[in-house]
Amino acid sequence: MRYGFVIDQHKCIGCHACTVACKAENNVPLGGFRTWVKYVEEGEFPSTERHFAVLRCNHCENAPCVKICPVKALYTRPDGIVDFDQNECIGCKACMQACPYDALYINPHSETAEKCNFCAHRVEVGLQPACVIVCPEQAIVAGDLDNAQSPISQLLSKERGVTRKPEQGTRPKLYYLGSSKTALKPELQKRDNSYIWSQTGLDKPTLDIQAFIAQAEAKAKTAYDVPHHTNWGWKVWAYLWTKSIAAGAFFLPALALILEWQTSLSLYYAAIISIIFQIITGGLLVADLRRPERFLRILLRPQWKSWLAIGAYILTAFGGVTTLTLLAETFNWHGLTHILAFPGAILGVMSAIYSGFLFRQAEGRDFWQSRLTTPHLFFQATLAGASVLSFVAPIINLVNGHTFSLSFIRNALLTGVLGHLAIMLLEVVTSIAAKDKPQMADASRAMKTLTHGPYWYQFWISAVFFGAIIPLGLLLTATPTFLIAILALSSLYTYERLWIKAGQSVPLS
Amino acid sequence: MFTFIKNLVSRQKPRRDKIVPINNANGELTNFPPVERWDDWTEYEASEWPDRVARNYMLVPTICFNCEAACGLLAYIDKETLQIRKLEGNPVHPGSRGRNCAKGPATLSQINDPERILYPMKRVGQRGEGRWTRVSWDDALNDIAGKIREAFLSNRHNEVMYHVGRPGHDGYMDRVLQAWGIDGHNSHTNVCSGAARLGYALWQGSDRPSPDHANAKFILLLSSHLETGHYFNPHAQRIIEAKMAGAKIAVVDIRLSNTASMADYWLAPWPGTEAALLLAMANVIINEDLFNHEFLRRWVNWEEFLRKEYSDQECTFDKFVTLLKQHYAEFTPEFAEKETKVSAEQIRKIAREIAQAGEAFCTHVWRNAASGNLGGWQVARCLEFLNVLTGSIGTKGGVSPNTWDKFVPTPPNKPAPQKMWNEMLYPREYPLSHHELSFLLPHFLKSGRGKLSVYFTRVYNPVWTNPDGLSWLEVLLNEAMVGLHVALTPVWSETAWFADYVLPMGVGAERHDIQSQETHAGSWIGFRQPVLKIAREKLGEKFEFTYEANPGEVWEEDEFWINLSWRIDSDGSLGIRRHFESPYRPGEKITVDEYYRWIFENSVPGLKEKAAAEGLEPLAYMRKYGAFAVETDVYKKHEKQLSETEMKDAQVDSTTNVISKAGNPIGVMIDNQPIVGFPTPSRKLEFYSPTMKDWHWPEHMFPGYIRSHVHWSNINQQANEMVLVPTFRLPTLIHTRSGNAKWLNEISHSNPIWIHPQDAQKLGVETGDLLKVETEIGLFINRVWLTEGIRPGIIACSHHLGRWRLRSTTGGERWSTALVDLIKLNPTQWYMRQLKPVEPFTSKDPESELIWWSDAGVHQNLTFSVHPDPVSGMHCWHQKVKVSKTLPNEKYGDIFVDTARAHQIYQQWLAMTRPAPGPENLRRPRWLARAVKPAPEAYVFESKQLVENTTNSVDSFNPYQQSKPLDATER
Repeated sequence: MRYGFVIDQHKCIGCHACTVACKAENNVPLGGFRTWVKYVEEGEFPSTERHFAVLRCNHCENAPCVKICPVKALYTRPDGIVDFDQNECIGCKACMQACPYDALYINPHSETAEKCNFCAHRVEVGLQPACVIVCPEQAIVAGDLDNAQSPISQLLSKERGVTRKPEQGTRPKLYYLGSSKTALKPELQKRDNSYIWSQTGLDKPTLDIQAFIAQAEAKAKTAYDVPHHTNWGWKVWAYLWTKSIAAGAFFLPALALILEWQTSLSLYYAAIISIIFQIITGGLLVADLRRPERFLRILLRPQWKSWLAIGAYILTAFGGVTTLTLLAETFNWHGLTHILAFPGAILGVMSAIYSGFLFRQAEGRDFWQSRLTTPHLFFQATLAGASVLSFVAPIINLVNGHTFSLSFIRNALLTGVLGHLAIMLLEVVTSIAAKDKPQMADASRAMKTLTHGPYWYQFWISAVFFGAIIPLGLLLTATPTFLIAILALSSLYTYERLWIKAGQSVPLS
Repeated sequence: MFTFIKNLVSRQKPRRDKIVPINNANGELTNFPPVERWDDWTEYEASEWPDRVARNYMLVPTICFNCEAACGLLAYIDKETLQIRKLEGNPVHPGSRGRNCAKGPATLSQINDPERILYPMKRVGQRGEGRWTRVSWDDALNDIAGKIREAFLSNRHNEVMYHVGRPGHDGYMDRVLQAWGIDGHNSHTNVCSGAARLGYALWQGSDRPSPDHANAKFILLLSSHLETGHYFNPHAQRIIEAKMAGAKIAVVDIRLSNTASMADYWLAPWPGTEAALLLAMANVIINEDLFNHEFLRRWVNWEEFLRKEYSDQECTFDKFVTLLKQHYAEFTPEFAEKETKVSAEQIRKIAREIAQAGEAFCTHVWRNAASGNLGGWQVARCLEFLNVLTGSIGTKGGVSPNTWDKFVPTPPNKPAPQKMWNEMLYPREYPLSHHELSFLLPHFLKSGRGKLSVYFTRVYNPVWTNPDGLSWLEVLLNEAMVGLHVALTPVWSETAWFADYVLPMGVGAERHDIQSQETHAGSWIGFRQPVLKIAREKLGEKFEFTYEANPGEVWEEDEFWINLSWRIDSDGSLGIRRHFESPYRPGEKITVDEYYRWIFENSVPGLKEKAAAEGLEPLAYMRKYGAFAVETDVYKKHEKQLSETEMKDAQVDSTTNVISKAGNPIGVMIDNQPIVGFPTPSRKLEFYSPTMKDWHWPEHMFPGYIRSHVHWSNINQQANEMVLVPTFRLPTLIHTRSGNAKWLNEISHSNPIWIHPQDAQKLGVETGDLLKVETEIGLFINRVWLTEGIRPGIIACSHHLGRWRLRSTTGGERWSTALVDLIKLNPTQWYMRQLKPVEPFTSKDPESELIWWSDAGVHQNLTFSVHPDPVSGMHCWHQKVKVSKTLPNEKYGDIFVDTARAHQIYQQWLAMTRPAPGPENLRRPRWLARAVKPAPEAYVFESKQLVENTTNSVDSFNPYQQSKPLDATER
């Protein structure tokens, strides 16, 4: 048993009956859509064409939303339906980043993620989904793809079905017949500030950035669509930034201790700094959940393929080691501190870099798929950790005598800035080189918003020039480390913001 | 506390109710619960999923009340809460076959709308002031009945008027009004389908087409039936069925409709030139000898034509063909290309494909060019001409008269036709109109042609829907012109605000009606039911009135009219009461159950037998299934031979061959056989219309082309003049009825002006920029939407949207209305400005806080003056306008109107008419259809004096005289 959909665009008249029947059946809130009909227009009068595309969850065989969900709230049923459990969802919105098709939304009443679930509640009593039965044209066909005799298999044996974004490797079980070349490809569409009979529901910055992305390739005009908003904002980029500090501020001194460049007391202060930033990081993570009271579920019913769950365990372990270190130093168990420095350094580095794997699980966002993200996060943590230490270490040294190696911190900062700069530039270069690869095309489009799009000024001036080139230059002079660190660290925050925004700038549907 | 902690960790134990699935024999999913389980159906609740929470429902069928298609619905009534959970399609409904458009399932949002009116309201203070008090149904009925009785007793019958939007039922009100003995039925037809009706009526007697789309090989649509129109969902199903079976589709529409986007050919002629386009196709078919000779020989009234117009020449079919070729010789595709701007090559190609489809050629004109243009009725006539030429009338895959495929059962105790004629409805200037000159009512009132004592607006919103709404508002505010205004409506409307009573009436799941529509080659009836009442009665409750089971005190009209009529004539002295007595309990008041029981037992052929086969009474059968197929595979009814019984005592006219019985034509002799034919005077298809000649329009005896008031030669594009096409609908909305449906307004809430990028560039506007549109009587300001989907030189704007209210928390649906300020600058000049857009609001529906759109659209119809076509009486919607960029103080949604100017334009158009009487001192040809047809004697004028002398003192404006490039009489 393997349920799938065929949407026959030879027949679909774009009437929106499916949209409304779905809303009534599933109590879908205003602003949310489990299925919707997009209109695009192309060609010149009088050879103008308008095409429809019924868009929704593809019930992927290799569903990225299921993989990224930290609490098993999204799951693939034995019959192939990708279903969800509103009672389990913590509202982390990672699924919305993982889905390349804009299929999910947050229900503002329950604050949990929802999408088309094939009307599983109907299927279990033997009924077709609500959209299937309402369709005036019987353009939506639902059935068992494993059964060669089923109407859906018969249809697909006569005409090859097309899927959305096959390059994503998600293996959709929704096949389109007779779809236009443009209607399923958001990259070929441009959006004005309103539609044929509705508002876009999008704010001006979003429209501007989409207009910038569309200008190069668009062949068609979006005549109707439903609003899809980006949902990872300041808490996410702030989390990246505070986590880098928490990680770097500990693993750098731990490394220095292992190399015996510093005393074990340095880890006492490092642990304090790290724990403070860990708490802020954790606070941001929990605050970003739409159901923050359910945050413990990440740890108590983890889905082990999700880097959100794995990351939560890494952060917890890191928190444990740093706390133990603090205790060890408080009770003068320096030997234990020496031992804890090893796992501390490793967990610190893991805390810094696991997000690279997490963002790579956000399969909807090609921009975040880069392999350079993981090393980049290491350098960012190095930069951030060294920066914070450069504020604190001189004072500690003043009070306690030689606790921190200031030259190590300055070298670490140098390493962090250098690595950060190199990878930023490398990302730009590889993105240009990869723009023709279909699976990387959206990444290149997102990168363009940084290099010469709406974000170019902030990227080149703030993130690159003031965040890396100037600090690098100053590090070759006698400028006090902490002054350079202020520049580098604040620019890093800008970079995180741009990275999160650019990643979500390309429309998914 | 423990649960709280547990909840932090994981969810509570899920509920796991068990339901046995009903997969079909192949193990596949099925579409609907089987009918035998409708009384006891259990399924899982979606919003509890993945918990398996079983809910038990009773499924009660009804029909939709949004558009006029009467599609089947199936209401799921939760037996525990006694609430409607959802509405799906009714799988046994022959027209809609279980499927619906967006408006079907959206009925649920209309039922649960927190903004709806739940109780009868009576005005307090001045009319239009907006102060209301709740009254009982009893008090409302007594007051209204008293005023009507008073009018009847003082012989002011014509001052009682019922004005309906789309009826949503067949015949119920005809019966009520005829029982009252009045000519008081006003409709919306002449702002909608009137023109096309005349075009069809002149050919075939029946005023509507019934295309058999499913079996067509070529479909030519002057309509947008894949998104709107009568009857959208049923027709759209069958059009696409034909397409998938290989049929070609051509759509004629000025703008790229969704329908046009699905077609093989999209033709976008200059508005108003469509008839020339169609005649060019006819020209190709005639000249290339591709027409169906035998069909024309048998069924066109060519003999009458030759006999009357060429009496000195031989009367042969060949002679007719020669004249036919001569007559349409000028309409070459090259001529049409110049006139319409559609390429001659394309016209030729399509004409040949049409001819190839032959008898399987389907057409439909719905609104479109017919309702936009002066002379639009000729568009329908020219379109039907193509069907006649191909012989595709009444064939499989062709077009039948609508009357074959629509079944209207006879009600109990049917009253005799009224003996009155109301000139406020059918004024003498428009003897051929189809039908009432409804949209001229304010001007008639202002001209002193009459006044109204009791005026019902029934799910009808003329202030918003009709052109020149501010003239409506002026007369509604004038109590000397409109005495008592009663609005029967489910929701607040721009018109209801100016009523004295606002009486809440139910939507599709809250009322009784029978409805039938010509959706395919077969006929059916659908039964609308107040589903909560029906379900609760099945569960053992008893109700006297439907409003006891509906939300609040929302009633149904059937019971309202019975009870109102009873009170008008409680002692029976006026002869009204007897029509509202039970056919089963003599002397007692009829119940709605009895009314429909009688119809189902006596007036629907085959129903009694079908019901008996299931051991049911006919009423119980209809309550269970909600629909019944009366006839299937209906073709070639005109070819039916008259039986010997039918021919008994019949006479055959030796000249015309028409067979009559007791003075009524019943058929025609063709090739020496007595055949039924069509309900025209000749019993044939009237290519040649003696009626047009007799009623003073000899130049329009034949299908012809009249240049529209918006013909390109009348538009100075250099001076930024353009044609505004304001007639198109959206797939998700339905005029004034859908403002209460949150799900529909979420999808569509703007009506920007479609403009071609070339024109936009010339004006310096881009999508989202404001544009000022100046009409003859005012202006409106709207945003533009740039699209290649419209011909340069033309702009288009949907008439859906642009709803408004005058008070912030009442008087209009906050899902869809803008709060406006309406200022009377002087006695005839009005100015409207939007104060607040659509905004989230607090209500018992938490969804109202989630409104994310703010646009309500712009109400363009206010700025249109009336344009009654001098022949059909149809309002010619298209507008010649002047467009420009806005000034800094002009805002989105601004409207200015001068109603004095509007009255002048009315007079100009009125001056184009050629009033009755026609032959025999008649008001109207008796053979033409008329809404609520009066007794024959009512057709005769008592005197010839005109009510209003209109021919003097008006500007010399007569497009009919200006533009006769191809006068049909020139030969």
